[in-house]
Amino acid sequence: MIKLLFFGRLGDFAEGVSASIDATEGLTPATVRDALAADHPALVAELSQPQVLISLNQMIVGWDQPIFDGAELAFLPPVTGG
Amino acid sequence: MNSTTRIQNHDFDLGAEYQLLRQLDAAMGAVVTFTGLVRDLEKNTSINSLTLQHYPGMTESLLQEIVDQAQQRWDLIGVTVIHRVGKLLPSDQIVFVGVASQHRVDAFEAAQFVMDYLKTKATFWKKVDQNGQQHWVESKDSDQTASDRWSADD
Repeated sequence: MIKLLFFGRLGDFAEGVSASIDATEGLTPATVRDALAADHPALVAELSQPQVLISLNQMIVGWDQPIFDGAELAFLPPVTGG
Repeated sequence: MNSTTRIQNHDFDLGAEYQLLRQLDAAMGAVVTFTGLVRDLEKNTSINSLTLQHYPGMTESLLQEIVDQAQQRWDLIGVTVIHRVGKLLPSDQIVFVGVASQHRVDAFEAAQFVMDYLKTKATFWKKVDQNGQQHWVESKDSDQTASDRWSADD
C-alpha cells in the first residue's frame, strides 16, 4: 500500500480521494497523478501547477521517482508558515 | 551548539525562552529574538481566525535542517525555533526564533536566515477565516526573494 497525503489547498481538491493505493510496478508520482485524472480532474489540474512539490517518505523528489510498497507520498503546495 | 525546535498548539513565553538561551554559556554576548504575530488583516480584509496545518515529521526535520544550516554559516551558541499550529486569533504569537552567539552580527543574521528559510521551506500552511469564509493563504513572492538572497552567494 502507498499512503497518499494532500496538504493545504490541495486537501480541499482531494476530498473523496482514497487515502491509500495499491503498490504496482512502475509506480511514480506522475503515474499516481495521471491515475487520478479521470475521477478528480480539478485536483490533477492543481497538482500540475509548477509550484507543487512532491515528497516521498518525507523527502522532496521528482515526478519520475520510483515508488515502492509501504511508501508515503505527499503533495505539497507552496508553504505559508511563519 | 544547543538547538531546540518545537511545534506546538499552546502559546510560548518569550521571557522564558530568552532565559533558557541566556543561561547556555557565559561566552555569549548577544541574543536576538524574533516573535511573529497573527495579523488581523489578510489582503486588506479582517480575519476572524487563522488555522495552521503542517506535515508532522517532515516539518520537524526541515526545521532542524534549517537550524543546522544556520549553525554551519554562523558562529552560534544556541538556537530555538518554536512554531505554533492549530487555530490562532489575531495578535496571537505564532512563531519564535531565538539565536544566541558571542557577537551580535552572527545572531542578527542567523535569526533572519532562519525566518526566511522557515517561511519558504518548512511545511506549514495557513488557512484564514474571514466572516465565515475559509481560504488558504497564498505564498508571497517577497518571501521567496528574501529566502533567495541567502543562496545567491553560495
